[in-house]
Amino acid sequence: MGKRASGINELNIYLKALNSAYSGIIITDNLQHDNPIIYCNKAFENISGYSHDEIIGHNCRFLQAQDRSQPERYILKDCIKNGEECKIEIRNYRKDGTLFWNELFISPVKNEAGQVTHFIGVQNDITSRKKAEHELREEKNNVEIKIQQRTKELQEKESFLSSMIETVRESLLVLDGNYIVLSANKHFLTSFHVSSEETVGKLLFDLGNKQWDIPSLKELLTHILPTSNPVIDYEVEHVFPHIGRKVMLLNAYRIEFEGQYKDRILIALEDITEKKEQDLRKDDFLSVASHELKTPLTTIKGLVQILQRLSIDHSDNKFVSTLDKISAYIDRLNILITKLLDTSKIQSGHIELHMEPFAIDHTIREAIDNIMVGVPGYKINLFGSTDATVSGDELQIIQVINNLLSNAIKYSPGSNRIDVAIHRVANFVKISVRDYGMGIANVDKQKIFERFFRAGHTQKKFPGLGIGLYVSHEIITHHNGTLWVESEPGEGSTFNFTLPIMRTENDGK
Amino acid sequence: MESKKIMICDDDQGIVEMLELFLDLEGYQVLSETNITNLTKQLIAYQPDLLLLDLWMPVLSGDQLIKIIRNTPEIKNIPILVLSASVDGRDVAEGLGANGFIAKPFDLNEITSSIHDVLAS
Repeated sequence: MGKRASGINELNIYLKALNSAYSGIIITDNLQHDNPIIYCNKAFENISGYSHDEIIGHNCRFLQAQDRSQPERYILKDCIKNGEECKIEIRNYRKDGTLFWNELFISPVKNEAGQVTHFIGVQNDITSRKKAEHELREEKNNVEIKIQQRTKELQEKESFLSSMIETVRESLLVLDGNYIVLSANKHFLTSFHVSSEETVGKLLFDLGNKQWDIPSLKELLTHILPTSNPVIDYEVEHVFPHIGRKVMLLNAYRIEFEGQYKDRILIALEDITEKKEQDLRKDDFLSVASHELKTPLTTIKGLVQILQRLSIDHSDNKFVSTLDKISAYIDRLNILITKLLDTSKIQSGHIELHMEPFAIDHTIREAIDNIMVGVPGYKINLFGSTDATVSGDELQIIQVINNLLSNAIKYSPGSNRIDVAIHRVANFVKISVRDYGMGIANVDKQKIFERFFRAGHTQKKFPGLGIGLYVSHEIITHHNGTLWVESEPGEGSTFNFTLPIMRTENDGK
Repeated sequence: MESKKIMICDDDQGIVEMLELFLDLEGYQVLSETNITNLTKQLIAYQPDLLLLDLWMPVLSGDQLIKIIRNTPEIKNIPILVLSASVDGRDVAEGLGANGFIAKPFDLNEITSSIHDVLAS
């Protein structure tokens, strides 16, 4: 009895141990039909959600519910058939139908005859591990998808860029840090009549007949990469192979493409030969035209003067005043033609300055007085003084102030006031001409200083050639000053210019 | 007192006709020539007291002509007043030894006063 009692006690301890295990444990009877479960521990109940009574007698497959086609199932089946151990991970379902991943280990129990009498199954719920693995895999997939998308975007961006580069009507070269051509666009190849083979992989300075091998250009290019300072509008006049003498405008920039390609140089070339020729022709035309116009004007002017002399003795007042008017308009025409000639001279760089020191306050005052005589009823106020002497061509400066004043009058109908201010600003004299007229649209503010530019709405209302401001701007620039405008449409304009001061009256005292 | 003889040489017919009319009214004897290649022959034949010469003419330019006149003994002392529309005309005229310069387009008062000055000296 004692032995048996202690045997039962031992068994109870074992069963207790099995029930406190974390893993689910079952035992099946392989000798009975369909291998029924004859034992399950507490943990198995917890994992499966079934109670002990619902489990005993069933084959293990009830855990697979309808999910019957997993490959692991066949592995399991073979092992049972062959009486072997195996370890698989299989999808199982709890009583409430929820999925759990079961890490299943089965081991056969054999009798002395080697016959498999039982199987012991140990199960672990590895759902959370599987979930983590699954998420990791998902994440990895997502990353891969993102990488693919990014690569595609980059490829698209690059093909977008390259299609732009191929489309622009400007010759483009990309160089590496050693001035080796990495690529040349179609426009480059066609305009220089060269092939890609002759260009790509070659040193820039060896291209063609070494047209770019210019020391000063080399010097500029060496600064691009270290300083990011671009080369802007470098003019190259050269007899190129195949295409002859051309004037090219070269611009070079360091390429930065989202932090990549930092040591590359983009060279853009523009053929400005025709533009240069056109400018030259325009200047020639202007100079010839104004000369040709002046000759008959001289004749007309002389003939009118003869009539004026003849009319002194025997003519009525109307005849005389008509002649005077003709004479005045001839003078006006003459001034216009002279302005045209001035423009063409300035354009071809022939502006001649007779630099002499003069007192700017006095010059401005006189110019205003002279203009006032011609426009009775107009009030031109002068504010400030500088006591400064500037070095310059006084007649040209008078022309500038006359231009600004007559513009101020012309473009402010309905107003009769102009304010002129003269002040010292650091080493400069600043002269401002303020009108209370129509003002200038923002888009026109730079263009008004261009040759022959007329703001759209002024074209019909106000006659003029559109060269006054251009000439004024050139004159001031040649005096090392600047001319600019501040204006709002409807609120008048202020034209300002500066001239460097040579000395002031107080100096040397 | 016999009136002074003035020779006008300009390739522009209008200028020539206007000056003829004017100088005639002013009481001068006027001769004109629009073809510069005939000018030296004319100058030798008429021996004018003054030559009004345009500087910018085709075929033979005014500055070349002044050189020729100054190197031709029979006419080398004829005073020359240069007319020109070009800006550097004054420098050219003075450099070649012309007696005066009038810029085109000119005022007739400038013509009379310049002629007076040259004839008086």
